[in-house]
Amino acid sequence: MANHRVGETGLTESRPPNHHHHHNIPYAVLHGMNVPTSFIHQEGSAFGFGELEEAIVLQGVNIRNDEAKAPLFRPAATLEMFPSWPIRFQQTPRVGSSKSGGESTDSGSAVNTICSKTENQLEPESPISTKNTTPLDHQQEMASDFSRTGTSQNQPVAKLPQEKRRGSTSEKQLDAKTLRRLAQNREAARKSRLRKKAYVQQLESSRIKLTQLEQDLQRSRSQGFFLGGSAGAVGNISSGAAIFDMEYSRWLEDDQRHMSELRTGLNAHLSDSDLRIIVDTYISHYDEIFRLKVVAAKADVFHLITGMWTTPAERCFLWMGGFRPSELIKMLISQLDPLTEQQVMGIYSLQHSSQQAEEALTQGLEQLQQSLTDTIAGGPVIDGMQQMAVALGKLANLEGFVRQADNLRQQTLHQLSRILTVRQAARCFLMIGEYYGHLRALSSLWVSRPRESMMSDDHSCQTTTDLQMVQPSQIHFSDF
Amino acid sequence: MHCQTGSRGTYVPTSRTIAGDPLERIERLASENAVVIFSVSSCCMCHAIKRLFCGMGVNPTVYELDEDPRGKDMEKALMRLLGNSPAVPVVFIGGKLVGAMDRVMASHINGTLVPLLKQAGALWL
Repeated sequence: MANHRVGETGLTESRPPNHHHHHNIPYAVLHGMNVPTSFIHQEGSAFGFGELEEAIVLQGVNIRNDEAKAPLFRPAATLEMFPSWPIRFQQTPRVGSSKSGGESTDSGSAVNTICSKTENQLEPESPISTKNTTPLDHQQEMASDFSRTGTSQNQPVAKLPQEKRRGSTSEKQLDAKTLRRLAQNREAARKSRLRKKAYVQQLESSRIKLTQLEQDLQRSRSQGFFLGGSAGAVGNISSGAAIFDMEYSRWLEDDQRHMSELRTGLNAHLSDSDLRIIVDTYISHYDEIFRLKVVAAKADVFHLITGMWTTPAERCFLWMGGFRPSELIKMLISQLDPLTEQQVMGIYSLQHSSQQAEEALTQGLEQLQQSLTDTIAGGPVIDGMQQMAVALGKLANLEGFVRQADNLRQQTLHQLSRILTVRQAARCFLMIGEYYGHLRALSSLWVSRPRESMMSDDHSCQTTTDLQMVQPSQIHFSDF
Repeated sequence: MHCQTGSRGTYVPTSRTIAGDPLERIERLASENAVVIFSVSSCCMCHAIKRLFCGMGVNPTVYELDEDPRGKDMEKALMRLLGNSPAVPVVFIGGKLVGAMDRVMASHINGTLVPLLKQAGALWL
């Protein structure tokens, strides 16, 4: 609606004559009727509302004045100029010859046109009508609405003769009512515009806020997953768990540092003794996380055993609150070449004993679960509190299992460093660090992958490209 | 579940069978078989350690302290011996104390458990 400003308080007091572009509020628009846009305002059109208003008024006038007369209906050639006009003009075509009192031929033709239009468009227009007043009243309402603008025309419309309303009114009273109604309409239109403006502003600011929130969510999500999943979470997390999550994220940062040290140490071809120092530091770094996990297991064993401190992909392959040592060895075996025969035997023996230990712990945990089920399952309950107390006692054993599993992990890493040469050990630990780094990155990518149904091939290729930094040989998810 | 071993340990007869020092009883019982586990029947970690030895093909001698009239005293003695709770499970191999679950697992991972078992005659592979 760029061309015209519908609904603007534009009832100008005075308008230059023959000014077709005016801002009167069309009756139809004021009252929310469906009026074609083209009709509402036609800039530069030959038709002016002023003339129409005047014509309407005159029609009313004519109706009143010519009540007794038989209507003379003159179809007008300009019928098509008026695409639609509300049923308000559904008026018995009782307008006589439109000529009365000094009106110009323009008005006359307009009146005629309206009459004919009214005649021809009775039924199709009726749905628009929502008011209960009679057509006559409507027409006269419209007439009065526009009469005001009509007054400034150089038409003798100013001399509005009396119009018949429900009761007889004097000319002055009619003017007052008209004025009041017009003022009300203006006011309503103004308020409506203000409301609309406020609403649009509200929408705009909400949109901006929404995009900001989305960005924040995206950022914190990616950060959260790199930090182990619950670093950014608030509520529903125990203090022990929160503390551990913080310590773990710090440990991950240290891990990055240690790994780059290993990398540079390997590339720089340091002496074995120098490299040994770096490797031993890295092992101590792992000892550190196992120490932290002992404390965390005491504070919140469920946090550890459910893997809420890790990323989803790691969590998926979790065994008893951490990695499964035998799977880790399986991942490393292929990449630790060349190995001496003794080393090969040592590695396979390590994998075998690790598997046995894992199996024993798993069976122990299964028995714990069975025992717990027996305690809390239904059946005759003699003492509910006693039952719960027993169950709590059994649940406390979980901590022991997580501790033993971590112990197994720690022992496995130590044994690896004993079996391998210092250079092999450095490469081995680097591989382990990179493996878990890739797993965490995979988790993050997975979470933020696009989920639209229409995923183009380009997009899926892009994801693949992102993963190209990951060497496929280092990820053995199927083995895990 | 009990895996009874064919005993290869030495038998030390004692007259102090009833009012005896619990620790002495423990040591005596431990030396009677190659692999001796002191356990509590409801303890899940004890179950795990039993599964570990059976999985290796070893048949340990298991004493369930909750089924022994003097079990309470022996538990206390074991706690003193190990330095911390829980008292069970605890493993003796060849009459010598190996330790609780963590020590047993560590020795298995670092490869010292199997030679120890072979030495005690619990494993023939």
